[in-house]
This record gives sequence, C-alpha cells and structure tokens, in this order.
Amino acid sequence: MRDILIPGDMVASEPLRMENTYVENGKTFAKVLGMYEREKKTLVPLEGVWIPKIGDIVVGIITGTKNTVYEVDLNFFGRSILIGSKYERQSYKNGDVVEAIVKDVEDRKTVILSGPKILYGGTVLNIKPIKVPRVIGKNNTMIGQIADLTGCNMIVGKNGTVWLKGEGVGVATEAIRQIEAEAHISGLTERIKRMLEEKCGPRRPRTQETEGAEEKFE
Amino acid sequence: MANKANKPQLLVNGKRLDGRAFNELRPLKIEAAVLKNADGSAYLEWGNNKILAAVYGPIEAMPKHVADPAKAIIKCRYSMAPFSSVGEHSRSGPNRRAIEISKVTKEAFENVVMLNDFPGSEIDIFIEVLQSDGGTRAAGITAAAVALANAGIHMKDLIYAVSAGKIDGNIVLDFNMIEDNYSDSDMPMAISPRNNDVLLLQMDGHFTREELKKAMGMVIEAGKTITKLQKDALNEVYKKAEVKYEEGA
Repeated sequence: MRDILIPGDMVASEPLRMENTYVENGKTFAKVLGMYEREKKTLVPLEGVWIPKIGDIVVGIITGTKNTVYEVDLNFFGRSILIGSKYERQSYKNGDVVEAIVKDVEDRKTVILSGPKILYGGTVLNIKPIKVPRVIGKNNTMIGQIADLTGCNMIVGKNGTVWLKGEGVGVATEAIRQIEAEAHISGLTERIKRMLEEKCGPRRPRTQETEGAEEKFE
Repeated sequence: MANKANKPQLLVNGKRLDGRAFNELRPLKIEAAVLKNADGSAYLEWGNNKILAAVYGPIEAMPKHVADPAKAIIKCRYSMAPFSSVGEHSRSGPNRRAIEISKVTKEAFENVVMLNDFPGSEIDIFIEVLQSDGGTRAAGITAAAVALANAGIHMKDLIYAVSAGKIDGNIVLDFNMIEDNYSDSDMPMAISPRNNDVLLLQMDGHFTREELKKAMGMVIEAGKTITKLQKDALNEVYKKAEVKYEEGA
C-alpha cells in the first residue's frame, strides 16, 4: 500500500524515527512530498535536492586548488572539499572530473571527500539527484543494461552527476534522459531495453571496464 | 484605496455583485509542475486572478555575505505583469506595494519551511501576477505553497491564504477587486491548516472582536476547500508514480 504524502500530512499518531518526517506533540508528520510505504515504513521523497550522506559515491569537477586542498563542484547547495595527501604524487587541476566518496559532512553542508580518482576524457551530464536510484536500478539492472548495450563506461554519482565515456555516449545520454522523464511510469527497464536494442543492436560482450564500473554500486 | 465618495453599491438585495454568497469562494483552479526549468512551479486561477509561482532551490546563497551558516534564507519576489490590471495599479517593477507583499510572503513561509535542513543555502520564490482581480497576495501565497511542495522543499505544512472583509456590516469572504477597493475593511490571512496557526494577518479598516472571530472562522472553513485543491494539484502530477514505483531503489 503506497500513498502520496504532502508536507503536513500525518504519518502516524505516535512518534516515529523516520527519514523525511518530523515529530510534533507526539505525532509524526511528513515534511516532504513523497511516497509512503506502509509495510516498509519509509517515506521516499519524489522531489528534492541531494542531501549528502557519509559513504555516498559522487562525481564532481575540480573548481579551485590551494596547495593540497581542492574545491569540488558537486552541483548542490553546500560546498565540498577534497584534501589531498602530502605524500600523494597525484595532483589535480581545475576542470578535472573526479569520482570520490563522501568521507564526512560538516554542519550538513560542507562535504569532505576521500578516495578520489580522476576520470579522464568522457562527458559529464547532470540529472535530478532524486532520479539517481532509477538510473542505477535495482541491483544495478538499469546501469548494467545501458553499459552492456551501448558499450559505454558510466559512473553515476549520488549527487546527480553522471560521467560517460565510450562509443555509445549519445545513445546512453538519450536513455538517461528518458529514464529521468519517465521514472514513475511502469515497465521502465523493459522500455529502455527495447529503445537501446533498437538503436545499438543486440547485446554486446562485456568488457572488463564496464563490469568494474558497475560493481561500485553494490 | 479608491475614493469613498463614489462608492458603488456592493450588496444588491443581500447578494454580492457576482452573485456569490457571503462565505463563498470564487472558482479556484490549481495546477502544479507547469514550468520545466524551475525546480517547482504552480499555476493558479482564482476568479479572475491568474498567477504563476516558481521556486528554485535550495541553491548556494548568493551573494555569499547574505548566507546564514545555520539555516537557509528565503528570497521572495512578488511582481505584477504590466498587463495584469488597469492604470497605476499594475505598474510593473519593484514598487512599494510589491516590496511589501514580497516581505510578508517571505515571512509567512519562513514559519513553515524547515530552514535548518539546508544551512547556508537560499530558496527563491517568484510570484508573477499575470492578471489581477483582488486578493493577489493571498492567491500568490497559495500558489507558492504548491510550488514549494513541488520543488521537494522540507516544510511543516502546506499553507494557504484567503482574504475576508466587511461590507456594510456583513462579514464577507474572498474579495474581488471592486469589493476590495470600496469595502469597509479587508483582511488577508495565511493559515497553516495542520493546527490553524496564523502566518499572515494584515488588516485595512476596522473589525470588532466578534467580527474578527467570525471572519477567522469563515477563513478556516474555506481553507478546507483550498487545501484539498492544493493537494489534488500535487497528486495529479504524481498519480502515475503510485502505479509504478517497483523497479529502482
């Protein structure tokens, strides 16, 4: 049983610890427009921005450098910094696309990144962060399918930035845009599969790289 | 305020000029998610009012010095289109009246938006009046609330606003332009329907204590209709989402 809840709707008449809700006078209310699943007791937002959490994999662009501290554009309301190691040989310059993990969040707005990896070449695409789970799909089905059929390497950051590289970038971009637009309509995986097969032909053998890109989201 | 000397008759045989009952709202229609480039938007037609509201954010606060490290800030711009009304009333641009309405709207929303969830950020609300026929600030707040919910901003409640006033000693709900200009008193109110908190109350003219009580009762009663229409507008957008939320996390 699923309901669409609107800010101010009562979720339960007892205080509950649940994401996207607040408790007032011993009652729980929704604070965001979202889908409430009664069995799982979760409120999944339908719209909104990325709220950083420790452990999120993100894709960003280096926008400022100061010795070994780098500022990264993650396309959200706060700021994010990447602290390089003194002993690290690797240095980054403005415009580099990096993939990193959120190590810490200070004051809910300053994101500290770690484990950076430069993504050479390719293109960057911004999507609505709320649609990221759909682009990845359950057990990586969607992202795996796009990677398989287009032969394109892709990394989807939780912040809504997607990095793409390979021959099928154009088709993959089209597929992602379609997912974004039709995320709530039934039979999405099937439709995307059909669309991709039409444009790229049958399934291609997997390359080492695409498998690697996919496993990160497990 | 128009000249009281040439005041027209606002009540004819105990009925209002447009034939409404004293506690009757004008026809209200709300549509959510109408603008593609805004994070959230709403279009509202309330009688002859036509209003477009758009919300952006939370985004990084600009310029930096206005940012509050502990909470989000709200910026609101109410503006009337040059073609929205007749004469001086629709003079476009940041005039005294537009600045005042922007301020009261902003303050109404500061009470319901969970500002602490987005520290250092900014939420922009734009209210554009395309056609005005009295009660645009109330209509603007009602539309902006839908747009904020559509943008996925954390809020305690979906608020609404409506005006009540007095004509010849009768308490009357939801003024149109001519009633607004010539009435004895006029009171727009914004209410949080969850617990009936009053977020905006401006009063032109006078009310006795009993009249005020009666007007508030009327506003809260009408609010049930408005809240339902606001929720329907949002549900309409995501109705399909209910059917399918299977794949994906």
